[in-house]
Amino acid sequence: MITPADLIAAVEIVLLVAGIAGVAVGCVGLLMARDTYLRLHYLGPASSLGAPLIIAALVVHEGLSFSAVKLVLIGVLLIGSGAVTVAALGRAAAQRQGLIDMDPPA
Amino acid sequence: MNTWLVAAAALLVVGMLPAVVVAGRGDLLDRLAGLGMAGVVATLEMLLLSEGYQRSSYVDAGLVLAALSLTGSLVFARLVVRQ
Repeated sequence: MITPADLIAAVEIVLLVAGIAGVAVGCVGLLMARDTYLRLHYLGPASSLGAPLIIAALVVHEGLSFSAVKLVLIGVLLIGSGAVTVAALGRAAAQRQGLIDMDPPA
Repeated sequence: MNTWLVAAAALLVVGMLPAVVVAGRGDLLDRLAGLGMAGVVATLEMLLLSEGYQRSSYVDAGLVLAALSLTGSLVFARLVVRQ
């Protein structure tokens, strides 16, 4: 007989394993990529896929609580920071290679 | 050793190790990409360790780390261009 607690535990494990796999794909890809632009692509899966899945596992484990709200906040921050970091580093790489103009001094 | 600590250990091997290797060699921007990845992995480590050791204060450290990691990457990216 499968109880709701067993079901929740199974969901946690599935989310956790999927999240760690997402981060692993990103990190190993980062290590194996030969070009800076290719390397930047691998920052995406870790922060936009792996991190939210791991945080979802933690939220399912915590249930509805203040701690879960903090976890969701961190998840949103990580999703946003991944995209922003990739854009900023891609722009910096293009400016260093002279593909686009330099920013005017602030 | 519970599930969360096992997950934290696995993440250290498959996540932090490649990120640190990338951050330690190659071009400046490649290193910066590794640093950004290490920031994401370190934040997730904090959350998993918080659950594994039942210390809710580690979540606050993860929140601060996530915010500062983003800020640090943006500042570094700006300075790398001016170099």
